Amino acid sequence: MTTASEPAEQSTDEMGPLERWTHGVVNEPEKRKRLYRALFYVAAAFFLVTTLFPFYWLLVLALTPSGAITRGDWNVTVPLLGEIPFPTPQGFNVASFVEVFQQVPFHLYVFNSFVLATATTVIVLILASLAGYVFGRLEFPGRGLMMLGILAVSYFPPAAFLIPLFDAFLGNAVVVPFLGIELFEPPRLVNTPGSMIMPFSALFLPLAIFILTTFYAQIPDGLEDAARVEGTTRLGALFRVIMPLSAPGVATAAVLTFIAVYNEYFFSSIMALQNQPEQWSPLVGGILSYQTQYTTDFNLMAAASIVGVLPMLILVVVAQEKIVSGLTDGALKE
Amino acid sequence: MARVRLNDVTKRYEDIVAVNEMNLDIEDGEFICLVGPSGCGKSTTMETIAGLTKPSDGTVHIGDTDVTKLPPKDRGVSMVFQNIALFPHMDVYENISFGLRLRKYDTDEIDRRVDRASDIVQLEGMLDRMPNELSGGQQQRVAIARAIVREPDVFLMDEPLANLDAKLRVHMRTELQRLHKQLDTTIIYVTHDQAEAMTMSDRIAVINGGKLQQIDPPLVCYNEPANLFVAGFIGSPSMNLVRGELAANGLRTDHFDLEFAADGLESAVGDGVTMGIRPEDIYLTKNADSVDSASEVIEARTDVLEPMGDEIFVYLSLDDTSSEMMTSEEVSTASNQLLMSVDPDTVIDADESVSVVFDRSKIHLFETASGTAITHGIADLSSRPTAAEAEPTPTEAESGGQHE
Repeated sequence: MTTASEPAEQSTDEMGPLERWTHGVVNEPEKRKRLYRALFYVAAAFFLVTTLFPFYWLLVLALTPSGAITRGDWNVTVPLLGEIPFPTPQGFNVASFVEVFQQVPFHLYVFNSFVLATATTVIVLILASLAGYVFGRLEFPGRGLMMLGILAVSYFPPAAFLIPLFDAFLGNAVVVPFLGIELFEPPRLVNTPGSMIMPFSALFLPLAIFILTTFYAQIPDGLEDAARVEGTTRLGALFRVIMPLSAPGVATAAVLTFIAVYNEYFFSSIMALQNQPEQWSPLVGGILSYQTQYTTDFNLMAAASIVGVLPMLILVVVAQEKIVSGLTDGALKE
Repeated sequence: MARVRLNDVTKRYEDIVAVNEMNLDIEDGEFICLVGPSGCGKSTTMETIAGLTKPSDGTVHIGDTDVTKLPPKDRGVSMVFQNIALFPHMDVYENISFGLRLRKYDTDEIDRRVDRASDIVQLEGMLDRMPNELSGGQQQRVAIARAIVREPDVFLMDEPLANLDAKLRVHMRTELQRLHKQLDTTIIYVTHDQAEAMTMSDRIAVINGGKLQQIDPPLVCYNEPANLFVAGFIGSPSMNLVRGELAANGLRTDHFDLEFAADGLESAVGDGVTMGIRPEDIYLTKNADSVDSASEVIEARTDVLEPMGDEIFVYLSLDDTSSEMMTSEEVSTASNQLLMSVDPDTVIDADESVSVVFDRSKIHLFETASGTAITHGIADLSSRPTAAEAEPTPTEAESGGQHE
């Protein structure tokens, strides 16, 4: 024993500092714990900086008066490094948050996005619930193939739909390609919420279907049977028993859909012919309308972005609480 | 309250027939148990009555209405499930009142009924708890309350006690019987536990392989099983079954013969016949005085003893092989083994030579090929008195003990 431990002790003295440190981390739980904690802080700090720095930058821009942004001096004196460029507020112009609403009716753009997102979420949840029930709880031939089809559709690039949809929503007759047979003449939907909600629902449906299918499939059959014997139809059992018990899944699908539509610009910028709130232009359209041919009010755009993000922030915090609570007390036993 | 009639109900799945031409006629207010081994189709039969599965063929009547095509909610049935199936997101009150709220009863009526139902199953003071805060027995009682609160015509119970521990199960068994007396509703009860079936029901429907084997009061099933399956299934430990061959003057088996006049029976001489005798109908020769009509003496060796407290189960070996490697189930069907029960104060040891007699009035004969019962009790079939018979029976050729 002594002969075995002596050379080890001797070698500890001969080790370099790095070697001694690794040796300590491997052998001593106390040091290992310290290392893990340090690594956790490094990783957490990295994610916090990368996600929060853009917001900080937005805040700096919003608070800096418009003139100071373009000609301002962004250098900061740091000891040892000298002068380096880093965004710091050049003034404290809180008035820009008010001006945001004075220059354009920004609240109307926010309202548009809200209506579009809410309507799409409701439609998506209803349709995806029905589809999720069928895919998750019923056995029928071709189920796998249909699921695969939905998956395939969800991978189509949205731009592929854009031109035919725009053509149809302008009120032009839908024509069979090459044959020239006129099928029907759709109503002119551009500049109405319909032209946006319809493609949004189609685009975000597959994801919601997949989420809800997995959740609905986990509800025990006995509960549905019990509900049906007690007096509901299959549909009633879905909305009264299966959906409430899958609340975390429903909330996840709803939040994902809502945020995706709220942030959407590609379709809505084209379906709303101008950046006008009366034409159902969304939030992003509102932010861009601070830009004119000759001027760009960066401070107002930044302030508008912050104002636009706030409702989302509240929604996610509230929904997250719901999702977490749903996950913890959703101990599902029959 | 209503009668339930199943007419040639058949349920086919892609590869198997779960229920095969089931005919059941259940009287108003009756407590019927559907028993059978797992996978025999009893739960499918139940689901067909509830409307959770549609039969491939046949009709289901509840009362005077043909409910075959009706959805479960319109059938006037309520059901207690094996896995209890309380809605986890509702408290006890909401669970019990679920069906009433769906049917838009007014609040006072709902409160009154929930109070009454929770009174019956003794759930006072628990109405605002969540299901996961209740014990297994309490959850089961909530499930029963949810079923009775709607005052259904027919009560369906699918192994409601299967998930409870043994003590609670016995307790709930008596509670269910009390409940049946109180409500006087038709109850159809699925179980694979024959003790439940024997103790609770007015009639037992024994099902095997999707087919109805026998539907009779419990004691009739026990004393006069219609076929080999019922004989082996009802009773614990199960009946000894010994294969043999019918001869003109009795039954020949590998290890013993029974003498009786075979000409009164429907089977012909030479047919394969299986003899059945319950463990409690085998007596040691020295205790055979109480038997009115004892059979021939059979020599055997005791093998293993299982003292149960109120009786001792004795495994008898008719030749020199040992039953050590067999379960009691295998013993009951092996021709060289018999299982008997004796009083706990009997002096008996393992590996001892004993002579035993059967109670002839309790011997059952079955056709081996079809399994159908030929006769229950061969006491009246005696052709000539044998040495072992305590009282020679005078009747001859009269097959009075025959039941079909």
